[in-house]
Amino acid sequence: MVVKQIKQAASQIRRDVIEMAFRSGGPHVGGALSCVDILAALYHKIMQLENWEERDIFILSKAHAAMALYSTLVSKGIMSPDLLETYCQEGGRLPAHLDRFSGRGIECSAGSLGHGFNIGLGVASGFKQRGSTRRVFVLIGDGEAQEGSVWEGALFAPTMGLDNFTAIMDYNDLQGYGSPSEICCFEPVASKWSAFGWYVCEIDGHDHNSILRALAEDSCGKPKMIIARTVKGKGVSFMENQLIWHYYIVTAEHRLRALEELQ
Amino acid sequence: MRNAFIDTIIDACSEREDIFILSGDAGLGVFDQFKEKHPDRFRNMGIAEQNTISFASGLALSGYKVFVYNIIPFLFYRCYEQVRNDICYQELPIVLVGVGSGITYAPMGMTHYSVEDIGLIQTLPNLVTISPMDPVEARAAAVYSLNSEKPVYIRLAKRGEPVIFNDSTFDITAPRIVRDGEWIAVVFHGSISDEVLEAYESLKNSGIAPLLVSVPTLQPLDAAGVISILSKVDHVVCVEEHFVNSGLGSMLARLKTEQSAQWGLTLMGVPYGFIHEVGNCEYLRSFYGISASEIIRTVTSISGAH
Repeated sequence: MVVKQIKQAASQIRRDVIEMAFRSGGPHVGGALSCVDILAALYHKIMQLENWEERDIFILSKAHAAMALYSTLVSKGIMSPDLLETYCQEGGRLPAHLDRFSGRGIECSAGSLGHGFNIGLGVASGFKQRGSTRRVFVLIGDGEAQEGSVWEGALFAPTMGLDNFTAIMDYNDLQGYGSPSEICCFEPVASKWSAFGWYVCEIDGHDHNSILRALAEDSCGKPKMIIARTVKGKGVSFMENQLIWHYYIVTAEHRLRALEELQ
Repeated sequence: MRNAFIDTIIDACSEREDIFILSGDAGLGVFDQFKEKHPDRFRNMGIAEQNTISFASGLALSGYKVFVYNIIPFLFYRCYEQVRNDICYQELPIVLVGVGSGITYAPMGMTHYSVEDIGLIQTLPNLVTISPMDPVEARAAAVYSLNSEKPVYIRLAKRGEPVIFNDSTFDITAPRIVRDGEWIAVVFHGSISDEVLEAYESLKNSGIAPLLVSVPTLQPLDAAGVISILSKVDHVVCVEEHFVNSGLGSMLARLKTEQSAQWGLTLMGVPYGFIHEVGNCEYLRSFYGISASEIIRTVTSISGAH
């Protein structure tokens, strides 16, 4: 039942992403599509969002996937659907990377990689300090995980017992101009995080049951890192696993074909 | 100055539950008292400047008033982008407390000097910047930063500086006349104040006492206040322990042009270039032409032509 709901939400989010990408003529559609299932699971099942003042916090650290977040917020009724129309439009409200003053539900400005992850640690620590049960979820990219700042945070977080902090790595293995596992010594990524003192899960980042299970797992007092194996461009066959769809523009023809597949 | 600032913050912590202090593995002994009283509100963030600033931003987003303490280059040079995006862009009430302004830390070497920070802050909208000249201004800066809802950067030298002007009621955001003078003004900020004061005493004895103006708040600059205070002078000498091309002097030059001010302007500061010269602060000030004797020479020379 819940999984069905998440699946429906994910389809709608993907369709919105395609529409936004088409209208704006902007890039980043591949990386937005790869994280949709994770966002849908977080917003439609995992996160506490009913009592808004005490809500759980989600930070999209790989903020070039902003289209996915905007659409997710609309799907959950947090952001007005009208705003989506203004994405990257002249005089519009929603930029291609996140500005926390642009709309409800944008918890954190981001765009330069390797910031949101560490900001999330600070928020989680603040919640702990106050004795609050609020939780923090941060989505980082695999390309982003090359940033030194991420490793500064990785080294530091386990000393604080931040079991209210969960990072999810959208491991689609394609960044702007290559593949993380070829550009650097990326693997073995899971054991690196384990060695740093994190509770690590590895999952299929498009399997809703696996996502829900990993998010719900008890992290035994540690901060959690979920390595989510994903497919860049997921859901649109001609975009899947294609490097070009980091920057490629959605034309009218692409849009029609994509929407057909996403019905 | 450092102790006046920190003590004011620590005093406030007894009444405020929302204050958090982060240190970048700096300030040996400075926070001992605070750590004892409030162990859960102090954290040594280690040698990880990017994480420190982003983490501070997260704490601020969760409702804390965060003070980050470090030597100036480590406070916001490496992590300039974190300060720009996470603190300033998000308008978070974080206070960056920097020590070792200018060449205070000589002879530690160029990596430890901060002679371009005033240039950098002019590229960081929302960042209120205060450069106190003595412990009295440092205390006022602390009170201001405790109440500020905007990001603040405090540019401190070290500890042990004398009180230069004790005025219990003044506005830290406005320029201050700290010694009276006639037609020539010496405008300055921060720790160069001891050289300025020494020069003043000597010049006064020679009958050419300049108007001394401290400008503690460099951003936003109180332009109207500066123009008003300088309205009766013919010439302004700006002295600072900072690159001459990008500090208060350059702001005054811009102001002079924008406002068509009639006063002449002479800029004194550290020449634009990397510092390879070795010596203590006093030696370097003398070497780079911002010592008391150089201020005396400059004012006397302008006076001769007046």
